[in-house]
Amino acid sequence: MSAEGLLARRSLTRNRVRFAVSVGGVALALSLTLALDAIYAGVANQLTTYVDRAGADVWVGQAGVRNLHMVASWLPASVVEGVRAVPGVADATPILYSTDTISAGNERAVAYVVGLPADATMGGPWDVVEGSARVGRGEIIVDQGFARTAGVSIGDTVTALGRQARIVGLSQGTASLVNSVAFVSFDDFQAMRGGAPVVSFVLVKVAPAASSQAVAAAIGSEVPGVTAQTRSDFSTQERRLVMDMSADVISIINAVGFVVGLAVVALTVYVATLARRREYGVLKALGARNGVLYRVVLAQSFLSVAAGFLVGLAFTGLLAFVVARAGLNLELSISAASLIKVGLFSAVIAGLASILPIRQVSSVDPAVVFRRGAAA
Amino acid sequence: MSTLTLDVREVSKRFGDGETAVKAVDSVSLAVEPGEVVLIMGPSGSGKTTLLSMMGALLRPTGGTIHLDGTEISALTEGRLPDIRLRQFGFIFQDFNLLSALSVLENVAIVAELAGAGSRVARDKAAALLTELGLGERLDFLPEKLSGGEKQRVAIARALINDPALILADEPTANLDSKIGHEIMRLLRGIAKERGRSVVIVSHDQRIRDIADRVLWLEDGAFRDVVTMATDPVCEMAVERERAVRAERDGETYFFCSRGCRDEFLGGTLPDDSRHPRSEIAVR
Repeated sequence: MSAEGLLARRSLTRNRVRFAVSVGGVALALSLTLALDAIYAGVANQLTTYVDRAGADVWVGQAGVRNLHMVASWLPASVVEGVRAVPGVADATPILYSTDTISAGNERAVAYVVGLPADATMGGPWDVVEGSARVGRGEIIVDQGFARTAGVSIGDTVTALGRQARIVGLSQGTASLVNSVAFVSFDDFQAMRGGAPVVSFVLVKVAPAASSQAVAAAIGSEVPGVTAQTRSDFSTQERRLVMDMSADVISIINAVGFVVGLAVVALTVYVATLARRREYGVLKALGARNGVLYRVVLAQSFLSVAAGFLVGLAFTGLLAFVVARAGLNLELSISAASLIKVGLFSAVIAGLASILPIRQVSSVDPAVVFRRGAAA
Repeated sequence: MSTLTLDVREVSKRFGDGETAVKAVDSVSLAVEPGEVVLIMGPSGSGKTTLLSMMGALLRPTGGTIHLDGTEISALTEGRLPDIRLRQFGFIFQDFNLLSALSVLENVAIVAELAGAGSRVARDKAAALLTELGLGERLDFLPEKLSGGEKQRVAIARALINDPALILADEPTANLDSKIGHEIMRLLRGIAKERGRSVVIVSHDQRIRDIADRVLWLEDGAFRDVVTMATDPVCEMAVERERAVRAERDGETYFFCSRGCRDEFLGGTLPDDSRHPRSEIAVR
């Protein structure tokens, strides 16, 4: 370790309480940002679970519709045959879709309600833990978390799309913090809509040798009035929407975390520098250049922030672990992008926090060594 | 080529301007040879520390020149002074000024590292030096665990680690008891005589005169003309014979800093070692 690094480390850890408070403060501040990012990333993962797990390679919706959340997509039923006719399309399943509430007794919950044809090869529940994976007229499959909360089970009835439906299956992995996915029969959904020959989306499976991207482009050019996207693009749009909706909250929390972290580190390093002002003078008198002393200050800032970052990361990881086992419809996902962002945050905090102490060190008179005072 | 380690010529230092200007050092000249121990004494506020700061390149003189090993350090730019301080000077302070967060070994090694030595080389060199100074068992101690004498020995090791030409010591025995003070004085003399380093000491401590090759008296920022000094047998202050209060007893003349000391002396007994007047203090 360099002389500067050694001096920085020893100076920081000499007062362990102050160092612990500093690291704890930084960890708390960075945890705010890390945890919030993880929560939003987890929610985004959950919100796109249906898109990711429905089995479609390409999603075809009404022209201009690029995601599921908070949209209405209506296409004439004839579009389904048009899509099937596009080269590279191996299979196409129409679904009806709406955001609605499902209720049982006093329990009401927001849900993506999906109307599934009887012969659907895609779009249905992918993990049914109890009952049937197929829904007929007057039937519904709900998420087991909702069923548990509402106190209903197979054979009980719930209200969806304004009609009573009997639970025939319980799925898992189909709920998020915000909503769940419920499956009803295509015919029931269509009847509730007045029997109009429309579909919301056409889910497409591409032929083994075909590219999803190419097939999506072909559908977009050959079938009028639709927007076709690969599953990946559709999912990305969905995530982007969620993040856009949350951008202000994330920005505010990030700013709070940044300011708190900056204040804690700046104060700690400033106090540490002030306490060792005479020793910086001694080092100058002994021949240390200002650059060496600046590096000592910077190293102290970076060490504090790095330790705080690691503790914050560990805390967020522990939080994610606990939440995952708490039975909540919440997932914390720590992404590489978030780590990079918070890492950069930390570097900026360390740099800014060093400015005042560096100014202080630069003004220390080496002749201070001849003044009488408490010294080791 | 000069054989002098330090050559101070007509050096002055003035603080402030106009009517409020204070001349802390006034046209002082001093030459120090290799291996010489020079003691600078004088009352508080006489300019000793200002002079020491200028000799150590910590303060720029307002007049005159200071040469160290032939290099005029008073003319060097600020950017070059740290290297000079690091490699040419060794500082020893009254308050020791050790770095409290570093161990004994690290306090010494860091100065070698600052001068460019690798970590391993610096630590080995520091360990050898500290062991030579009797601190081999204290290498991993923090300064707060050391006695005053041990701290000063660490400071001496730190001052020697880069083999400087000149050791500048500010009141090196002030915070030490008599026995340890003598030990430190012997060490400083050894540094000069065995290692060939020049040592300039600023101190009020009369005991240091025993190890000095030359004693200089600084007062009001200037070395006084050749004067004969004596020690007040009561308070042990150095006093000028010509200006001192004097008294005769048993055929001997004694010199005092004040009438109070004289009266106390005449009413009491004479210490054995105060019968002889002090050595002359010469100014070059």
